[in-house]
Amino acid sequence: MKLVINGDEHEVDAPVGASLAAVLRERLGLTGTKIACNEGHCGACTVMIDGVPVLSCITLAHSVEGEVTTIEGLRDHPLVDAFVRADAVQCGFCTPGQVVSAAALVAARPTPTEEEIRHAMAGNICRCGTYPKIEEAILHWRD
Amino acid sequence: MARLIRTEKEVEGRFEEVWLVVEEDPLEQWPAGPGEVVGRPAVRKDALERVRGEARYTADIRLPGMLHAALLRSPYAHARVRRIDLAPALALPGVRAAIGPGEAPGLDAEAGYAGAPVAAVAAETDAQARAALEAVDVEWEKLDAVLDPEEAVERGILHGEPERYERGDFDRAVAEADVVVESTYRTQVVLHNSMETHQSVCEWIGDRLDIHTSTQYVWGVRAEVARELGIAADRVRVVCEYMGGGFGSKNSAGEYTFAAAELARRTGRPVRCALTRREEHVAAGNRNATLQRLTVAARSDGTITALGGDFINALGWGGWSAATEGPLKMLYACENVRTTRSTAKINTPPMKAFRAPGFVEGTFGLECLIDELAARLDVDPLELRRMNYASSNDGTPFSSKNLAQCYERARKHWDRRHAVRARSDATWKRGVGMASQIWYGGGGPPSYAWTRVGSDGRITVVTAMQDIGTGTRTAMAQIAAEELGVPLDRVEVTLGDTARGPYATLSAGSSTTPSIGPAVRAAAADAKRQILEIAAQRYDLEERILDIRNGTIVSADGNLSVGLAEFLELLGSAQILGKGARGPNPTGMSVLTFGVHVVEAAVDVETGEVRVERVAAVHDVGRIVNPLGAESQVEGGIIQGIGHTLSEQRLMDEETGRVLTTSLDAYRMPTIADVPEIVCEFVDEPDAHLTNLGSKGLGEPPIVPIAAAIANAIRDATGADVHELPVSREEMLRALREAEKKERRGAPAAV
Amino acid sequence: MELLRPSSVDELDGGLFIHGGTEVVPLLRDGIVRAETLVDVRGVVPRGVTGGRIGAGTTLAELEADARVPDALREACRLAASPQLRNMSSLGGNLLQSTRCWYWRLKFPCRLHDGERCHAADGEHREHAIFGNDYCASAHPSDVAAALLALDGRVRTTRREIALAELYRLPDEADRRMTTLEPGELILEVEVQPPAASTYLKAMDRKRWSFPQVGVAAARTGGGTRIALAGVAPVPWLLDGPEDVERATPLPRTAWKVDVARALVRRALAELG
Repeated sequence: MKLVINGDEHEVDAPVGASLAAVLRERLGLTGTKIACNEGHCGACTVMIDGVPVLSCITLAHSVEGEVTTIEGLRDHPLVDAFVRADAVQCGFCTPGQVVSAAALVAARPTPTEEEIRHAMAGNICRCGTYPKIEEAILHWRD
Repeated sequence: MARLIRTEKEVEGRFEEVWLVVEEDPLEQWPAGPGEVVGRPAVRKDALERVRGEARYTADIRLPGMLHAALLRSPYAHARVRRIDLAPALALPGVRAAIGPGEAPGLDAEAGYAGAPVAAVAAETDAQARAALEAVDVEWEKLDAVLDPEEAVERGILHGEPERYERGDFDRAVAEADVVVESTYRTQVVLHNSMETHQSVCEWIGDRLDIHTSTQYVWGVRAEVARELGIAADRVRVVCEYMGGGFGSKNSAGEYTFAAAELARRTGRPVRCALTRREEHVAAGNRNATLQRLTVAARSDGTITALGGDFINALGWGGWSAATEGPLKMLYACENVRTTRSTAKINTPPMKAFRAPGFVEGTFGLECLIDELAARLDVDPLELRRMNYASSNDGTPFSSKNLAQCYERARKHWDRRHAVRARSDATWKRGVGMASQIWYGGGGPPSYAWTRVGSDGRITVVTAMQDIGTGTRTAMAQIAAEELGVPLDRVEVTLGDTARGPYATLSAGSSTTPSIGPAVRAAAADAKRQILEIAAQRYDLEERILDIRNGTIVSADGNLSVGLAEFLELLGSAQILGKGARGPNPTGMSVLTFGVHVVEAAVDVETGEVRVERVAAVHDVGRIVNPLGAESQVEGGIIQGIGHTLSEQRLMDEETGRVLTTSLDAYRMPTIADVPEIVCEFVDEPDAHLTNLGSKGLGEPPIVPIAAAIANAIRDATGADVHELPVSREEMLRALREAEKKERRGAPAAV
Repeated sequence: MELLRPSSVDELDGGLFIHGGTEVVPLLRDGIVRAETLVDVRGVVPRGVTGGRIGAGTTLAELEADARVPDALREACRLAASPQLRNMSSLGGNLLQSTRCWYWRLKFPCRLHDGERCHAADGEHREHAIFGNDYCASAHPSDVAAALLALDGRVRTTRREIALAELYRLPDEADRRMTTLEPGELILEVEVQPPAASTYLKAMDRKRWSFPQVGVAAARTGGGTRIALAGVAPVPWLLDGPEDVERATPLPRTAWKVDVARALVRRALAELG
């Protein structure tokens, strides 16, 4: 199986049925993508495929056709600094997934409204309740 | 000088008499208000690596040759392993070891709840380990299971004896009262749901055991593992540099740690044991359900004359019984109080401390009851609370209490209620509710810290504490920077490793900042003293006229101004080392935190939907070290509280005792879309009696009053008394129907 | 396990179809469905909107953003699941999703697992059905299916074209399946005639990312008004009219859903004017 991740092509050997999240973490050492529920409910494992946020924990690695972007590919995105400045991180375990969802949002809508942020970010659960700061980070991501 | 004291130590509202070695705390508190660094908003020291996904959590630890372990769990609510055959599992591909009941602490032949661990398997992959569990052949003896807490109390199946408390003459006060309100409240089982599940990676290196674990207490795990395995504590190293949330559920080692340690010993390889989300929902602890039958009696002028409560803590198979009656005993001045707390031992998953255990549940009951009394007396709920203000904790003075100031600051939010109500329409009714907060959070000794000052003028604080996501790493750096007179970016903090720093207490019970902060300050002061001693010699000046300000050593006479880095060049590769300890808590005083929430809520009276629209929170937790981080704590507590108020509930099959809400589509925590407007204020007055810092903890206070404040806003909006958490649509519609009936019967509704 | 990726209908030959995977992957992991061969049908199923025809491979996220899609369907997509799930899940897959009944998901030996009783009816059922619930009390979780049922959508499969209502069946003792799809049959397209007006209202216990407690879709066409409900019966549920709500047969702990349904039906009709 060939995967294009953050612009680099990887040759990976994994059994059919392996999730993209498992391949990223266990085979490629890309542990920025977190697994918190492993059944598609929490968003911690969010990555982009061709710019679209998906849940890598329930994506079969073998079915991936497009280019994968993980948090490792977004480390220099202005959102990272925006999250830091806004204190949009507590324990941080959900944060990489939050940043990936947010990056897709601001790519589609560079100046999202609060309502748009809430609609687009509702699939990323944060148990620490960092949401107000996440909203602030996204509202001011280009400041 | 070290001093030995006999004292009462409080953790999560639990007290025990202990001997403590403490050191004097001679430092004067800084003046109130922001300093150069402390009291000013600071972004987290570790934000960047967490946001970029570079922080390495326990979940990310991959050691060479590491095996994966999985736990076999009881399918029955109460059963005994009569016979177990691990051989079929061991025969499967990839399986390297298997252990059964009694072969690791926490794996017991008697399973007290559906999901209790009895055996463990280690294999090359996680999938192989889980597949092997299915092959383990177990003969179960099913035992009598009790799942209903009231039945357990009736049958006397309890953890310990019921706790009874009485002051004054409750019966007489009730008999003589003008008004008596009795209500029954129920709170549900709530799951912590840390995003990082409970997990450990264990590796034996010679006779030393290295444990990477997601924990709130590295030293606690070290001590527990050493004790259980019968090895010297210094042969155990516990590491947790980053952890993905705990909320009270990760204060101890856990069977996953012991299983991994034993399997690692048997295989000679590192072993990782991580709970799945579904296991997390079953076997990682919970906030236990409660039943509260409460009574308040008052004179018609609003003076509360009696408070009483019969509480049942539905504890499950294990855990400890939190003081659900605490708020009722302590929040108001009331001479006649009687409480009983029975702790049902039922065959359900064990309780673990969850963010202000007991007080969250008890405050819901008490503060709803107070509002029901206010409605009955036709007294303003804020006034009723002020009228019954407690000026001491049943005779014991408070080290500091600014609840009155919280009420005063809450008034402008409370005064919005007329405008809020006016925005109601035929279906959406709007109202405002309030609730007060009381909880511990003073921390205590012992905790220690070191500082290292290098020749480049940079400072490392070294203390083996944890930052569980609350931002304490940053707060500690701020404290050290303030004391040493350097900018925050000159200070780093090393933590989370028992091999790399002195003892520090657990990150739980709102105790991290008040416990460890003063030790860090003392360690910074020790280093500063040494720097100034050397400077005095180097420049032939009197030490008492020297100080460090903004990274520069200055003399009061204005003759000296030399950069710290420039001066410390003389150290070469050496360092200045500072050492600090947490001093004692004030004797004969109650150290408590206070606050008030004012909530604006809207209720769709046709569909039972409840929306929290605005929350104003005013908290009194002494000095605020980092206003930005503090605000995040308050927001997070409120949002978590909105979850248990409106949508979160662990459900169980009453026939089998199996947890049904094992996934996050069924156990619904708030999303970003559920967040109301949150206004956050602090009294920010140092507690003059508490340590060199005057700070109390803030992790728990914000989650304490939110449920009652929401329920009271619902009552204000609709006249309906909700008595049960969560306020599901079902409960909301029931309460509305009840209110309608009451109105038809002619009793005045609250509005 | 193998994964096939056919590029035309002619190449289909058995196996378990998978599109977005949001339903199939978790069910595979839980052993609720089993397969030696997975067939990725994304190369087979049409995607996109052409007039009233919607490719079954169109994602909910695409439908949510497409102004040509009738309001009820668009709103049902907008309020369905989470953003990531809407990005992944196909219209066809959404119609075929299984119940969220916890007993079924946790493999209690219930009737849908060929067992002898409905554990929910006897047990914890506060999120379960108020209609059609005497054999199985599960609630159908698809917002989209209720919207399409109200819109009187038609479904074209690899074998036939049927009204959406005919896609579903209540399980009974003799046949416990909940759809009428034959093995190997694949949904290709959904056809919807534009209504004069349509709407979808959804009760949840958080504002987003929740399966419907009660979902109400209503659509007005020349021929009258159709009302369909999500989350209230083992299958998407068509009402004969607003008064049909009163014919609900709630379980002890699902009576509240009747109140919610009544209110939402009234509001939906009011919205249609």
